[in-house]
Amino acid sequence: MKANTHFAFFDEGSKKEIRRAIMKAVAIPGYQVPFASREMPIARGWGTGGLQLTLSIIGKSDVLKVIDQGADESVNAVSIKKLVHETTNVELTEETSEATIIQSRHRIPEVPLTKDQIIVLQVPTPEPLRGVEEREFVTKRMHSEDDYSGVWLMLFEQIMKYGRTATFADHPVYVNGRYVMAPSPIPRFDNNKMHQSESLILLGAGREKKIYAVPPFTNVESLAFEDYPFTVESFEGHKCHLCGSTDIFLDEIIDQQTGEKSHQCNDTSFCMDQLNRKEKVEVQTSYA
Amino acid sequence: MTFDQVHDLQQVYRLILHSMSRPGTISSLTDIAERVDMNLPCYDATILSAMTFFDVETTFHILSEDQQELIEKISEYTSAKYAPINEADFVIVLREDTETAIQSAIQNCKNGTLIDPQLSSTWIIESTLLSSEGELTLRGPGIQETAQLHTSFDHSAWHARNEKTKEYPLGIDLIFTDENAQVVCIPRTTSISVMGVS
Repeated sequence: MKANTHFAFFDEGSKKEIRRAIMKAVAIPGYQVPFASREMPIARGWGTGGLQLTLSIIGKSDVLKVIDQGADESVNAVSIKKLVHETTNVELTEETSEATIIQSRHRIPEVPLTKDQIIVLQVPTPEPLRGVEEREFVTKRMHSEDDYSGVWLMLFEQIMKYGRTATFADHPVYVNGRYVMAPSPIPRFDNNKMHQSESLILLGAGREKKIYAVPPFTNVESLAFEDYPFTVESFEGHKCHLCGSTDIFLDEIIDQQTGEKSHQCNDTSFCMDQLNRKEKVEVQTSYA
Repeated sequence: MTFDQVHDLQQVYRLILHSMSRPGTISSLTDIAERVDMNLPCYDATILSAMTFFDVETTFHILSEDQQELIEKISEYTSAKYAPINEADFVIVLREDTETAIQSAIQNCKNGTLIDPQLSSTWIIESTLLSSEGELTLRGPGIQETAQLHTSFDHSAWHARNEKTKEYPLGIDLIFTDENAQVVCIPRTTSISVMGVS
């Protein structure tokens, strides 16, 4: 038997509570606003934070895109998309520029976002100080006192140990010069896309019951030292083996049989777009 | 009340969210306000904002002392409870309220704590016609360079607001409404300078 769910799955009371938390998150950029994370029909840790944000803000006229590590067609993205679509009947898209809400796990799309779009990021660990201090009431106090020596020390220790900061994703950022924030496990490559972004960025952690945000045109600075500046992943000398793009985030793919390495766009819809564009040019020139 | 409590309020929310994340950007609720037929002594945009955010978990305060009927109506519609100024999550300022009343209310309202800055009050303020050409220059998160704005708040009210938001992240977030069903928001992060007054 299938229950007839309310629009966007949630009852109106849940939406209101989450909507109020989002307003506070926008007013205090980078600050983690606690909220009453709901039980969802997917397991915690599978994007329930992002899903709750999406369901609370979505309306009938929205166009939704969901990506998981850059891919539109991975299981997590498809399940979330199906759930939202079945309860709201909104239009779905894979085209980044057509979407009004983009829910994403661990990537910010390659195509620059616009002022009419909201990106919702799924967050596993919203607390950038968790590695330094286990107790929530202490980390909350550290944030209130602007005490971020622990996180600086963590980066310093990495430099001592490895000769560079060894954060691989989720490199901590300073938001609006006040709060240190976990940008969610996006690669360092994407950190700069948060700085002075045109679109509103919402971040939701379902298991940890936190919502936070980066409003548009807000300073987002990756933590770094003067003599060890912030660096992003480098793909110099590589290009996508499908569409040939460079200057984007690439995945390394290893052929199981031959052991051969190749690189491919991580953002699948961007790659598809490039291929379609090329094909269009080919068709036009071959018929002309 | 013939507007749709699910879909219309979702739209109102998105418009207010758009304005809150872009301080100084005026959003129009006209289409939805046309369907408001509640006949209350406040602007349509005011009641729509209240209906969007209020529920049984929230408290609100209305500055005017002789608005018992409006208080009762809002409580009935939203299940929110009336509370004194120093406890209210939301504060509603109507057109008739004086600058002195507003000023003292700003001084006494909830401002959050350094540990929980979200425990501050959000203000819904009725203004004369809002306009993006005005005496205020806004800067801060959500604004590319600067934004201009006109509201009915006078110099002393802005002064009180600036004092209240001095110890960031403490502070109050403001939603202005007008009779043309427009809204504009000023979160605590926005720095405001009034032209002609240093």
